[in-house]
Amino acid sequence: MSTEEPRVIKVFEDLLETPQNRLVEQASQDGRIPIGYSCSFVPEALLMADRLFPVRLHAPGVAGTELADNYLSSLVCSYTRSILEFAMDDRYDLIRGWVTVPSCAHMQRFIDNLEYLKRPDFIHVIDAPRKVNESTLKWHEEELHMLADKLSSHFSVDMGKASLMKAIDEWNRFCVIMNRIGDLRKTPNPPITGSEFHRVVMASLASPKDLILPHIEAFYREIENRESTRKYRARLMVVGGHLHDPEFIRIIESQGGLVVADRFCTGSIPGLIPVHVNGDPIRALAEHTFEKTLCPRMMEDFDRRLNNILDTVKEYRVDGVVIEIIKFCDLWGVDSMPLVSALRKVGIPVLKLEREYRTTGEGQLRTRVQAFIESMGR
Amino acid sequence: MIAAGCDVGSLTTKAVILNNTRLLGHALIGSSFNPEKSAAEVMEKALAAAHLTMDDIGFCVGTGYGRERIGFVKKTISEISCHAKGAHFLQPSMRTIIDIGGQDCKAIRLDEKGEIVKFMTNDKCASGTGRFLEVMAKLLGLELEELGRISGQTTQPINLAATCTVWAQAEVIMHLNDGMSKADLAAGINEAMAARIAILARSVGIEKDVCMTGGVAKNTGVIQAMEKQLGIPMRRLRVDPQMMGALGAAVFARERMGGR
Repeated sequence: MSTEEPRVIKVFEDLLETPQNRLVEQASQDGRIPIGYSCSFVPEALLMADRLFPVRLHAPGVAGTELADNYLSSLVCSYTRSILEFAMDDRYDLIRGWVTVPSCAHMQRFIDNLEYLKRPDFIHVIDAPRKVNESTLKWHEEELHMLADKLSSHFSVDMGKASLMKAIDEWNRFCVIMNRIGDLRKTPNPPITGSEFHRVVMASLASPKDLILPHIEAFYREIENRESTRKYRARLMVVGGHLHDPEFIRIIESQGGLVVADRFCTGSIPGLIPVHVNGDPIRALAEHTFEKTLCPRMMEDFDRRLNNILDTVKEYRVDGVVIEIIKFCDLWGVDSMPLVSALRKVGIPVLKLEREYRTTGEGQLRTRVQAFIESMGR
Repeated sequence: MIAAGCDVGSLTTKAVILNNTRLLGHALIGSSFNPEKSAAEVMEKALAAAHLTMDDIGFCVGTGYGRERIGFVKKTISEISCHAKGAHFLQPSMRTIIDIGGQDCKAIRLDEKGEIVKFMTNDKCASGTGRFLEVMAKLLGLELEELGRISGQTTQPINLAATCTVWAQAEVIMHLNDGMSKADLAAGINEAMAARIAILARSVGIEKDVCMTGGVAKNTGVIQAMEKQLGIPMRRLRVDPQMMGALGAAVFARERMGGR
């Protein structure tokens, strides 16, 4: 059994260097249509039908937000400002359509400014409900039907049942392999670190799935029988909103923590679960969105969010939870308060970190994480 | 059983030599751009004060922002744990520690065994840190140590509306130009500092005994303002509060050697 660093990981690292990686370029050159999206409420599988493919909007290496700052207040989160900056700087020039959800007031400002400043040919806002029940499910189903119709008529793509089923099959293949990799993290000596896993997830979300799947499968083959001899002091779970930069997790792990579970917008829990179709694929996608999206924007859903974390803590044998919040994020800022109390109440150590979209202040981050692990007596 | 602790901070570097519970020597120097060099230099001074050499040290722990660059330590521990350990070592009844360093401040709450129950840090902004006082002292043409002493002579402390270091500077300049006395300005600066830190301290849940550590704890004006803000007395420590991180590191080192 090998204990070396996985070699295929370099592929994912390279794919994360730019907002539109070489696989996006390749697919675009082949006449396919990249659709940018920014929220887990957007059903990726729907955007995988026919010639479409989804690209999660991220802003790797963003150095400043001088352009976006002209239009967004400094109290708008740095994620929103970073993607608007990249949009204004034409860093998403291959993106031919934008599908968004006004998950929060900040994201609504992004959409408003994107429309006003860039006047995209195709932009669609999904009016996602804030409660989960039978009537809102129907509402969301109608929303997705509207989106499918609009995509079909604008891009002349096939959004029929067979085409959607094919897209869902591909999404499910992706989820199955990602879950297999994720399951390896439950072992006492996981063959991969949290930052390596995050690189794979982020690169996958920003690439056409069919083109990245062979790399993910190769990665799995490389690590499935690997046994790590890496020493760690505590198994950690990271919880929060958008986390795009694997560097953040690398810093946490540099202090002796091993991130074994990731419950954030761009993590694998509970986002990467297969879609179960029993009848209408759009109905299935609406159900799937509600099932996989445990977002603080949803009302009367706190217990489900909390229980998901508690279950994950048990399943992945987590010693402590790190809650990361982008500064000025209203949703996570508010939700984290009862979350911290509820987790501590059942004896789970919690570290709450406020951060910017791009990882900064490495020294301070290291000190906090080291002290957190020490306070757990490890 | 001789143990040592070395704390490489953003502004100062400290070292403590400990023989069981007895402090044999300590030293403090300004941090240079080279943490490794600062650590070696301060350790040499502390060893000289204790009439010892490096060969006499059984175990040495490093802490502070430069901890990972100290060549001679056998282990590194965060300054949060070290300040807590140092204060609890000196006073086992200590439950809340407020450490104000050069570039951040921390509020730490302990249980009766001295274990950390909760901690909060402010490392996003210079206000509420030693750097804030350094900037203000320079503006008033005072040495840092004088800020506390002179603030005792105030008749009417100014009320600093801005909490941002940059904007507070502009406000102080305006008051200086208006002919406000340095004592009133120094008192206002200390109170502004205390108000910022009190918010952080309350967030961990204040429990007695409470003490302040770090360089700012030498400023009596800030201590008094904190006592006023929190409505409880601050326990004075019998060792220089700025040495607390290095002392805690030395106590950890002693424990590593089997000492209690």
